[in-house]
Amino acid sequence: MKQPSKEMWVSAQDLRNDPELLAAANREFPETSIVEDLGKEGTMDRLESSRRDFLKFLGFSLGAATVAASCEIPVKKAIPYVIKPDSIVPGVASYYASAYVDGGDFLPVLVKTREGRPIKIEGNAISPMTGGGTSARAQASVLSLYDTNRLQSAGKVENGQVAAMSWDDLDKEVKASLTKGGAIRLLSRTVISPSAQAAIAAFSAKYPNTSWIQYDPISCSALLDAQEMSYGVRALPSYHFDAAEVIVSFDADFLGTWISPVEYARAYSTGRKVKNTKSVRMSRHYQVESFMSMTGSNADHRIMVKPSEQGAAIAALYNAVASANGAATINAPALNDKAKKAMTRVAADLMKAAGKGLVVCGVNNLAEQVLVAKINALLGNDGTTVTQNDNSFQRQGSDKNLTGLINEMNSGAVGTLIVLDGNPAFDHAQSEAFRKAMAKVGTRIACAGTLEETGALSTHVAPTTHLLESWGDAYPKKGQFYLIQPTIAPLFPVRQWELSLLVWAESAELDNTSDQPYYEFVKKNWERSVYPSQSGGKSFNSFWESSLHDGMLLVSSAPSAGSNSADVSSVASGLTRPSDGEEIQFFESINMGAGQFAGNPWLQELSDPITRCVWGNYLFVPIGWDGGNDYTFFKGLEDGDRVNLEINGISRTVTIVHQFGLMPGTYAIALGYGRQTVGKAGRDIGTNVQDFLTVNKNGYASSYAVAPVVSGKVGRDKEFACVQHHHTMGVTGADPKTGKTINVDEKTVATIGEGYQGSLVDRSIIFRGNLAELDQLEEKIHEKREEFQNLNDKTLYPSYDDVYAMGHHWGMHIDLNACIGCSACTVACMAENNVPVVGKKEVFRHHEMSWLRIDRYFYGELENPNVVYQPMMCQHCDNAPCENVCPVSATNHSSEGLNQMAYNRCIGTRYCANNCPYKVRRFNWLDYTTADLFPANEPRLNGEEMPFGADNLTRMVLNPDVTVRSRGVMEKCSFCVQRIQEGKLTAKREGRILRDGDVKSACMTACPTDAITFGDLNNKESQLNKDLESPLVYQVLEEVNTRPSVNYRARVLNRDESLES
Amino acid sequence: MVNKRLIISSLLSLVFLLTAFVSSAQVSVESGKQLFKANCAQCHNRNMKDNLTGPALGGISERWSGREELLYSWIRNTQSVIASGDPYAVDLYNTWNKVLMNPFPNLTDDEIGSILAYIDAVHNGTEGGNAAAAAGAVAVVEQPKTNYTLIYSVLAILLALIALILARIVGNLDHMNKVAAGDSEAPRPSIREILTSKSVIAFVIFALIVLGGYTTVNNAISFGRQQNYQPEQPIKFSHATHAGVNKIDCQYCHDGARRSKQSVIPSANTCMNCHKAIKKGSTYGTAELTKIFASVGYDPTTDTYIENYDQMATEDIEAIYKKWIADNYIADKELASLDAKGEKAVKDQWNNLVNSLTSEHDPKIGGPIEWNRIHNLPDHVYFNHSQHVTVGKLDCQQCHGKVQEMEVVKQYATLSMGWCINCHRQTEVKFMDNDYYKSYEKYHQELASGKREKVTVEDIGGTECQKCHY
Repeated sequence: MKQPSKEMWVSAQDLRNDPELLAAANREFPETSIVEDLGKEGTMDRLESSRRDFLKFLGFSLGAATVAASCEIPVKKAIPYVIKPDSIVPGVASYYASAYVDGGDFLPVLVKTREGRPIKIEGNAISPMTGGGTSARAQASVLSLYDTNRLQSAGKVENGQVAAMSWDDLDKEVKASLTKGGAIRLLSRTVISPSAQAAIAAFSAKYPNTSWIQYDPISCSALLDAQEMSYGVRALPSYHFDAAEVIVSFDADFLGTWISPVEYARAYSTGRKVKNTKSVRMSRHYQVESFMSMTGSNADHRIMVKPSEQGAAIAALYNAVASANGAATINAPALNDKAKKAMTRVAADLMKAAGKGLVVCGVNNLAEQVLVAKINALLGNDGTTVTQNDNSFQRQGSDKNLTGLINEMNSGAVGTLIVLDGNPAFDHAQSEAFRKAMAKVGTRIACAGTLEETGALSTHVAPTTHLLESWGDAYPKKGQFYLIQPTIAPLFPVRQWELSLLVWAESAELDNTSDQPYYEFVKKNWERSVYPSQSGGKSFNSFWESSLHDGMLLVSSAPSAGSNSADVSSVASGLTRPSDGEEIQFFESINMGAGQFAGNPWLQELSDPITRCVWGNYLFVPIGWDGGNDYTFFKGLEDGDRVNLEINGISRTVTIVHQFGLMPGTYAIALGYGRQTVGKAGRDIGTNVQDFLTVNKNGYASSYAVAPVVSGKVGRDKEFACVQHHHTMGVTGADPKTGKTINVDEKTVATIGEGYQGSLVDRSIIFRGNLAELDQLEEKIHEKREEFQNLNDKTLYPSYDDVYAMGHHWGMHIDLNACIGCSACTVACMAENNVPVVGKKEVFRHHEMSWLRIDRYFYGELENPNVVYQPMMCQHCDNAPCENVCPVSATNHSSEGLNQMAYNRCIGTRYCANNCPYKVRRFNWLDYTTADLFPANEPRLNGEEMPFGADNLTRMVLNPDVTVRSRGVMEKCSFCVQRIQEGKLTAKREGRILRDGDVKSACMTACPTDAITFGDLNNKESQLNKDLESPLVYQVLEEVNTRPSVNYRARVLNRDESLES
Repeated sequence: MVNKRLIISSLLSLVFLLTAFVSSAQVSVESGKQLFKANCAQCHNRNMKDNLTGPALGGISERWSGREELLYSWIRNTQSVIASGDPYAVDLYNTWNKVLMNPFPNLTDDEIGSILAYIDAVHNGTEGGNAAAAAGAVAVVEQPKTNYTLIYSVLAILLALIALILARIVGNLDHMNKVAAGDSEAPRPSIREILTSKSVIAFVIFALIVLGGYTTVNNAISFGRQQNYQPEQPIKFSHATHAGVNKIDCQYCHDGARRSKQSVIPSANTCMNCHKAIKKGSTYGTAELTKIFASVGYDPTTDTYIENYDQMATEDIEAIYKKWIADNYIADKELASLDAKGEKAVKDQWNNLVNSLTSEHDPKIGGPIEWNRIHNLPDHVYFNHSQHVTVGKLDCQQCHGKVQEMEVVKQYATLSMGWCINCHRQTEVKFMDNDYYKSYEKYHQELASGKREKVTVEDIGGTECQKCHY
């Protein structure tokens, strides 16, 4: 085991004390400034001006100002409703319960609307599934509603171009094709809506030659088939991560992307929080994988195997468990020694916690899934952590059915293909075969919101509504019915596909006289199939009203253990045999999914939790260690270099990034990028690696490939956008003069000598420890904080006790043990606070604007480090360094403890950002919001004609309570002051005291694991004050006496230190 | 000369004041106001200019001058006067659709005199906010204001004259000195020479720079402010009629003020709550109210909402509302059919309606009414009405002025930041009646111990940046 030279590091460059990094970190912003750019293009010559020019400009501005001053003030209109709906009060937000559904991904949500337009997604806290948690994708879905690339009418497709046609004409042509003969095939991703299923049934009844195929872009086919084989039901079991003491995951990214990540993350975090340091109950999490997934980064132990070794690892675990339980063992493929040793420890741990262990597997291999189910059964986990009868329906697709469909299409038997949902021409392992087969189908109809690869290859497009414009329902889990209601009338003349099916089927159940025929259909369907299962004895109408209000109906569905009847030996031959050579893993990223979010700039600009890269997918290459504390870069490549990746004769040029925790001899790259037929925001962003995917010999889509060939450097990504080293506050390096380790961003101060505030080498950014030595950690924090207090007592700053003695004093607590890095908070913050999207080039220039970043630090072993995520935003310091240096007092302090930023006072000196030790202030370098008069100041995203957000459609997503900032002003986290003010005002209007929970910041409500608590420090009863009582609480950089209002709770792992990986 | 004028005007005021005071023993404007309110205001417009159920009363004294006795008996009992066959009375009776005025037999002569005095006072614009104030009082209050500037300018001119005279005396003395010293050729400075001397020019330039700077800074500060902005609105909606005469509560229509950021301009269906019944305006008849009907698609002839109004052709809409306007014209004038004048009136009213309800980007007659926004806060200011109306319990008039007296609304306050801040500094928080403020224990203790008189908005952080800017 190699020990790192530093206790904690952010990257390989940091570890090596890379001189370039040190130099870069010392500057707030890199040298690629705008002026330099101008110089490159020769435009600086034109900008040079003489004294005469200066006088001319002066004269002109004076004249212009005079003319402007004499201008009439423009007449503004105030347009009221003609007939105001009772439920809408202009200026007051209304919330509607609905659900976020994307294929099988599901989240119960509340939609915040202002003046009838949805502007923000919140979690629905009464759902037992998620308890109000959200994901980055759900948060960003509201932006897709206002996508300028949405299809705006039905159309005929010729050569990939859409020619608009009326719905009547489309319906006529579709019906003609449906009655012409030839098989009719409906293709969709997983459909969890009972009413949509009823619509499909109605369609199939009218056209008996119809069959409906479901697929999942990221397939769970093998897991479903294994369930059928083991428990007789082709449905997913319920996993109870909260009840598990030992969690073993084979390549299942259950916190990030696997099946129902928000539900799992919520349950997982309850078993991971250190609530009481005196009696701790904390689960232990092993992750078996090749590259570091978001889930792996949260694990106590990562066991590195090659993608092809997963079967061997599972078999090893199975054999260990089986032999201890007296069950038959199987012939296991060979596994690398390290992993083999680790698996015996894992097995021992699991058996010790029999009945309280949980093994999950994300590998799409039937044999491996059957083995995993058997392991859970043998350990007695069935009925406790894995239950049947409360099954999840969030994945229903079948790889084999999809293959069957492609064969059928190729044979020419399919007359009409209707793609209801999904983008099968791009998003799965057989997309290339599917594209070719499409040509053999006469009529191809694509139902999608925007023109995608599938639509471009179709004959017709029947554009669908966005989720926020649709009626619908969802049945993600047995016993849990959810309703989807529209929060805005369709922006364009589009029709949801369920309704299109009913129209084409000329269904008798379709009430054509109704304004909203599909609403009537859903309602009738609920009356027929859901209403009988309720037990409240309500009339249907009051039942419907209350279900619609809550967004759900819960019916009890008792979980059961089930009985595993699989015969392991019969499938064992299907285990993957490890390959000898190099391998590459393809994975689903938290932001892009299978490519369906490519047109969403919020998600494009969201940094990957581990690599912290944005706007693209990057080939992860392993870092080779030379035995010492130095490392060798793969083929001498630097992050951001372009290489050729060749697999099976297909070659793609990709940008590389070095990655810790990546199994030597393996690579990894995210799926869903490099799309071509998509809005400009996503076109050609990243590399399309979809074609590298294959289907294995058992008919299951495989997520890895063997024998990839990676070339040497063939170029350089000139806009390599990785926020890893932007706004650093924790990078240390050797002082060139003394050789001592110092904080590079404080080098100049450090020369004064050690001991002074600001030049302390050992800075308190992260405190972390292991469960077994929790008391040591507690003591360390206590000691350190006492030392800091001693230093801080010698302050010259005044005391604030008097100021904060009454009213409110806002504060925050962030539990680093609960934070899983999912980034829901970051997107929620962008949506809530009108944070602009700046584009790849601007991110490359360190100009990203996000108010809340999630810093990722590595620690522990070099080859296989552990990770801690630290959400970092304005700390609202009482002794705020930014406030002292502002020459115009644009940033100052409020009596409620907020560090206030008055945009209109800011003159853009940026002194505050320079002086901020946390590096959380963001400057509007360009006119990101198109607020000023000069188009030259506006950045363009990916060659769009207009800057993102300049059009009136996209602007509908803006929060009207938050100022849109213009160029040249500084901005930063405001603790969601608009929510504070709103909460206070509501209390005042109701004449009551402000209660705990009345004010919640956007990041707090978005968090699926309740890692963030916001509240009033003056309210002694508040959850915040309870959280702060923990001895593990500390403040970042407390020693510099900024007195931040944000508190963190130390990261604790539950590692078995005797286990060497 | 000026002083003389001042003295004369002051004397005049005194005389007015005295007469007002003396006459109030029997006939007073104040008691007239009370009587008017109690007896007349139901039917007669209080602004004395516009017709309501009854005619506008302004100028009644002139109309009946010389026949005061008849007027008094007309007020006590109209019917008897009409019966007597007085031509003016009969004509009036006929113009007003033969509706009789309620009899008031119990009014004394003094009381009727008071009412008439009040009517005249209002009509002449001399009825002030101060109840006792008659014309003279108003003059006294207002005069100093105008005279200060006058006095200052007179003083300035006087001082300039004195300076000129002194300069001339000095020049003359200097000249005499020089002559006495034997220099008989020494020139005597002319006025022109004095005025073009270096020191005078320097002084004038200095004064111009100071004045110019002062004006520039003042104008720059108020740049973009719109105090007294009074745009014409698409509908001649009178707050004076609705809020003033009819005393409709502001928040009946502006129902957002108590619960929202915006006070909310009422939607047309709010108007229809009353105007389904009141289909003709007191001032403009059908001319303005028809616009509301055309906006929501209400057919006043049949008293029904028109179905599928938004898909209706303009010609059909035109037919419906022209018929309504014409019918009313015919009924008002008691004609058998529309005369030429009437045709023009109908056409004019219709054209005016189309102009008001349509615009370049919205050529449809139906749909929302596009009012001109008067109060425009900059985008970076957050203002919440409910905070001020429900929590602060402020009167609307405090910021919006006497809207109930405005025929056309104008912006009363500057809406400048200084104006906001001043109010926040001075205004006392309703600290004791709202439980929310319980968390400010220190202030409660100080209030209880008498250490503190009041808690202002500023004391609880009401002047901090992020109370309004975020």
